[in-house]
Amino acid sequence: MNHFVKGNPDLCIGCRTCMIGCVVAHEGLHIFEVDPDSYNFNPKLSVIKTAAITVPVQCKHCENPACMAVCPEKCIHLEKDAVVVDTDRCIGCKTCVMACPYGAIEIVPDSRNRVQIDGSPRMIANKCDLCIHSKRGPECVRVCPTEALTLVTEEDLEKEAADKRIAAAKALAEMNGA
Amino acid sequence: MGVPEIEDAKVLMIFGYNGADSHPIVARRILRAKQKGAKIICVDPRVTETARVSHIHMQLKGGSNMALVNAMAHVILEEGLCDRDFIARHTIGFEELESFLNPYTAEYGEKISHVPADTIREAARLYAKGEPSMILYGMGVCQFSQAVDVVKGLANLALMTGNFGKPGCGIGPVRGQNNVQGACDMGALPNSYPGYQNVNVPEIREKFEKAWGVPLSDKIGIPMTHVPDRVLKEKDPEKQIHAYYVFGEDPAQSDPDLAEVREALDKVDFLVVQDIFMNKTATYADVILPATSWGEHGGVYTCCDRGFQRFRKFIEPEGDLKDDWEIISLISTAMGYPMHYENTEEIWDEVIDLCPSFTGATYEKLEKYNGIQWPCRSKDMEDKGTPYLHKDGKFAHPDGKGRFFCADWRPPKELENDKYPMVLSTVREVGHYSSRTMTGNCRTLRNLEDEPGWAQMNMEDCEKLGVKEGELVKVLSKRGYCMTRCLPTERVGEGTLFMTYQWWIGACNNLTTSFLDPVSNTPEYKYCACRVEKIEDQDWAEKHIRDEYEEIRSQMGIQSAKKEGEGR
Amino acid sequence: MKQVQTTCVYCGAGCQILMNVDEETNKIIDAEPADGRTNQGRLCLKGHYGWDFLNDPQILTKRLRKPMIRKGGKGSPLEEVEWDEAIAFTARRLTEIKDTYGPDSILGTGSARGAGNEANYIMQKFMRACVGTNNVDHCARI
Repeated sequence: MNHFVKGNPDLCIGCRTCMIGCVVAHEGLHIFEVDPDSYNFNPKLSVIKTAAITVPVQCKHCENPACMAVCPEKCIHLEKDAVVVDTDRCIGCKTCVMACPYGAIEIVPDSRNRVQIDGSPRMIANKCDLCIHSKRGPECVRVCPTEALTLVTEEDLEKEAADKRIAAAKALAEMNGA
Repeated sequence: MGVPEIEDAKVLMIFGYNGADSHPIVARRILRAKQKGAKIICVDPRVTETARVSHIHMQLKGGSNMALVNAMAHVILEEGLCDRDFIARHTIGFEELESFLNPYTAEYGEKISHVPADTIREAARLYAKGEPSMILYGMGVCQFSQAVDVVKGLANLALMTGNFGKPGCGIGPVRGQNNVQGACDMGALPNSYPGYQNVNVPEIREKFEKAWGVPLSDKIGIPMTHVPDRVLKEKDPEKQIHAYYVFGEDPAQSDPDLAEVREALDKVDFLVVQDIFMNKTATYADVILPATSWGEHGGVYTCCDRGFQRFRKFIEPEGDLKDDWEIISLISTAMGYPMHYENTEEIWDEVIDLCPSFTGATYEKLEKYNGIQWPCRSKDMEDKGTPYLHKDGKFAHPDGKGRFFCADWRPPKELENDKYPMVLSTVREVGHYSSRTMTGNCRTLRNLEDEPGWAQMNMEDCEKLGVKEGELVKVLSKRGYCMTRCLPTERVGEGTLFMTYQWWIGACNNLTTSFLDPVSNTPEYKYCACRVEKIEDQDWAEKHIRDEYEEIRSQMGIQSAKKEGEGR
Repeated sequence: MKQVQTTCVYCGAGCQILMNVDEETNKIIDAEPADGRTNQGRLCLKGHYGWDFLNDPQILTKRLRKPMIRKGGKGSPLEEVEWDEAIAFTARRLTEIKDTYGPDSILGTGSARGAGNEANYIMQKFMRACVGTNNVDHCARI
């Protein structure tokens, strides 16, 4: 089963440490040494604030991803329990953006400032990849100051369902006056 | 009390303090307290992150703190929720408070603060019944012309409910800058030597005279917020300020009513600036003294809960820099008062020997225990400091008793009017710090937020004005104007405007007033009258912002002209 | 690579940070949280990512690297000088002002930021013992 990162609005303080962490994890530490304008800042999650809610939103890594199904270039695939975009092959057609029910994909300028043949910036689909390239796991989870983000795995999901089943069983017993 | 103790409170009243933006790591403790079952009361005119997760949010009208605090005290008294035993044993002045509070009903509180009387009652009950209850307050209390009164009013609430002298209670100011507590501890204050020893107490003065080998002045000094007046308005040359030595601060950015501050900096006879970065104040300087930065020198900081902690050098400075203490020592020596130290530990040993409440906090113990919360009076390794003050209800007054205090509500000094119908309050930007010379030079922090910043406005107000999110607007007050971006939000009330103070182009301190609290001399940053104007030609406005950014950068000595598209 | 534990320079929370530094190039590699009393192994965005100003990227302002004075008085340009000259100039002007208008005509600030307690102690000692005034203050209020 694919994993995903879950944000907890009761713990999120809207500080956006996760968004910087995401960029640093994907661009590498060299961004702290280069010309500040030579890289693009493309976090793969966004902190959403409404009147009553503050929480980061990112890809749910669906089991049957709509984005993958619609990608005409077949450049979205499953890898290490995550849904991943092959940005080298992405043509920026935006079909995946339309298909995603969570608004978790954006079209952004290529972070390495690559350009097209006419000199215009190369645009690509940008989405969470659960930092599958990193041994430390999702960087947003690691750096969040209030521990508002957690990685949800198959076991976590199974445990959550098991707990709910036990609670339901108890409720049934109570209904029968046990 | 200490930061970790926040978790142990059963009721937390967060008053004019937005931990999420000022201190995320303190905000974390508030959330953990809630996870452990604490009830949260939030008092703030905005729907802050704390307000969002609180059980009771008192969304008061700005500038009504004292009225609300008195009304809460009234409810506690009226409903018999006082800790009579604690009051009798540990306080004086309760009878006066009782009669003073008579007119300050919850309904009175509602009239001034716009918080429903029943909500005030509910909050007062919750606070009074918490075992224990803790109050955390911030600049939403301190940055008003009536500030010290409100702090004392909050202390009334804690005293009347016995919320002092045990873990998880008390009232805690959560201080903004990393070493604002330390600067106070070290006597960078006009009325006290290091360790809060007053300059006008003869025995104390004699002690310092003996230690420093010179006679000392018994006259309390003037606060830096009085400098503009003492330069521009004071007629008596003997009382004027003629030389200003600015060390690690940037009044030309951070002080209120900047037009006035800049005029003063321009006019003062001699201005010395000692800093790590070129900044606005330094552009007026007659001398600039370049110092080593955090990371390039070591020493001790005091964090917000009286915790002394070591900070250490980890990289070698580049350029012709000296440590701050060395620069000042050299000037002192050149002026005929020799100061020679080998290192910071030698200075620290002198400090702790002169300050009874710091005496036990040796470098050795700071290393061994990873920090010490003062008071720490003995050098014995067993004295590990003091996690919370007023233990067992003992207060700093000679009789050991806490004092109740009576103060009527006073309105802010500059109220909304026909010409300036909105209220501006300045607030913090989570990813930026102080006047932004440091964080504005951090690549990723600048990626999150950059010039000219935002004005948070109620959606209705934006609609009336016909401005959308991200649009540049002009904000004006009697004292000046600035340009910023509009951020429509449901989180702030109609007629209010919140701007973060780090921006040089969107400089909200062009607008703020220099009215001060009479005791603390803190400016009323949280309240002044203003107006927002739509800018029709957005292209011109965007270009103007870019040009201004370039202009600032070149003023700050940056050579390379940057490409288009800078500054958003 | 060396690792040095220090206290964060932003805000009063007093978080403990481990700075990873390449000693050969004298460059910071990254920062990670240490298990401090107040921060328990967590940091905010400023703690994690607020250190590259030390590399002087010149985004907003420039690091000061050399003492400067206005030799020709107000209105003249700031000129780089050696420390001896800057110290002598400052001491002479402060002494002149003290002699003409008295010690209370001079005001010095402490710093609530990176300088540290020892530097603040020295500043107030300088103002009180050398200049002879209690006109010393800092931005506690703002």
